[in-house]
Amino acid sequence: MIDLTATLAKALEEVVQRVQRSLVVLHNGHQGVGAGIIWRSDGVIVTNQHVVAHGGARTALLDRREYPARLVAEDPEVDLAILKIDANRLPPSLVADAHSLRVGQLVLAVGHPWGQRNVVTAGLISGFGTAQTRGPRHSVEVIRSDVSLAPGNSGGPLVNAAGAVVGINTMIVGGDQGIAIPSHVVSAFVEEALRRNGLARPALEAYA
Amino acid sequence: MTTYDENILVALSNAMVDAVAKAGASVVTVDARRRIPASGIAYDKNLVLTAEHVVERDDDIRILLPDGSDVPAAVAGRDPGSDLALLRINTGGLIPAEPAAQEARIGQIALALGRPTPEGIQASLGVVSAIGGPVRTGHGGLLERYIRTDTIPYPGFSGGPLVDASGHLLGVNTSGLMRGGALTIPAPLAWQTAASLAQHGSVRRGFLGIRSQPVAIPAAQQKALGREQATGLLLVGVEDDSPAMAGGLMVGDILVGLAGQPVTDPDELLARLVGQIVGQPTLVEVLRGGQPARITVKIRERK
Repeated sequence: MIDLTATLAKALEEVVQRVQRSLVVLHNGHQGVGAGIIWRSDGVIVTNQHVVAHGGARTALLDRREYPARLVAEDPEVDLAILKIDANRLPPSLVADAHSLRVGQLVLAVGHPWGQRNVVTAGLISGFGTAQTRGPRHSVEVIRSDVSLAPGNSGGPLVNAAGAVVGINTMIVGGDQGIAIPSHVVSAFVEEALRRNGLARPALEAYA
Repeated sequence: MTTYDENILVALSNAMVDAVAKAGASVVTVDARRRIPASGIAYDKNLVLTAEHVVERDDDIRILLPDGSDVPAAVAGRDPGSDLALLRINTGGLIPAEPAAQEARIGQIALALGRPTPEGIQASLGVVSAIGGPVRTGHGGLLERYIRTDTIPYPGFSGGPLVDASGHLLGVNTSGLMRGGALTIPAPLAWQTAASLAQHGSVRRGFLGIRSQPVAIPAAQQKALGREQATGLLLVGVEDDSPAMAGGLMVGDILVGLAGQPVTDPDELLARLVGQIVGQPTLVEVLRGGQPARITVKIRERK
């Protein structure tokens, strides 16, 4: 008979390590830290717009290498921003389609709550909904989870049990419910913004 | 090395999704108050069990079914003492929840479910943290047992189920029963109450007509009783025209048992005076002058 809890713990460890490789720390020296994820191996980073709203974000990788980041695009309405750092061969996040999420699914949040690095919290998909926004979109789809979040989780990934990103953790609403922007909303924003900025993915991924 | 698709976390995750889907088919929206609607559990094809405190009105109650249909409902019964109410719909077609075969155990994985909005089922994950009781509730009732979990009681989760990892009902969640937090009424108790509400429209609570206080039973009298029982209830008053008076109970008797079960404190007595026992001639066991005596009392319904 297998040792179930040990097997679970080992699987969890592997998934968390995979996610942490693609997680970055964003800071500007005086405000608190935020999180971001490596979207593309050539240095495209995705985070929350409010994390970089004060400008001058520096980006630290898991191995503590630091890079200055250039703001490529931002959309306060969905609280998303794209940064570019001059680095290559970075490990990009796995991304899953949030359309296939179901209530009850196990999820993990990885981020830097209260400035503490690479913290993992676990929970499940509580439900789905829409949030009213101020802007041309009027509303945005959101994922609700019961994962415990704190300042510093903003911009970090919500991942499924395989470690693939299903959303970007954005804010905490009443009753401890965590809100994440679904990965398909993030993907659509990123693809559109990169195309507009001449950073569309090359036909052949050079670093695959 | 586990693969992305086959790791055990994914298997666990899929099992939780299945549990939510299975249990969620029996969870409805109960719209019977001014604030946001709450949740309810299908008890029978046309009956919904919910928290009594979320049914603020008797008219214009709406129930939103998992398939999206919106049907009117009427109150079939209320028990404020355990914060449970039963609602009846005319259409039927509900899928009754399946109670778990085993009662909740501490450490067990549990999911709290609710359906307060048309956006679909909602869930929160936790473990069974504690099992307690009996406890007196704010409405003169008494809860024999309760479950506490570390699931998050989101707005509108009252009346919804706590389920185990396979989607079977462990209890009914409510944040209206005790000040200072949510708790879960164990499924066997909730189902028992629902049965009584379906039949009588209320939970029948019995009345003896005594005032009592707990006292220690001396060792010699325990011997005479034939069992180890450290405490009983000393009768310090017997009301006129009461079942106790009619049966012949006297001030100075120590009540030690009811209907074949020991009674050691007032909460235990209250818990035993609920349900089928009401209206029945019932054997009351007392110590009178240090000697056991059995007296038959016909228990009346408390008004």
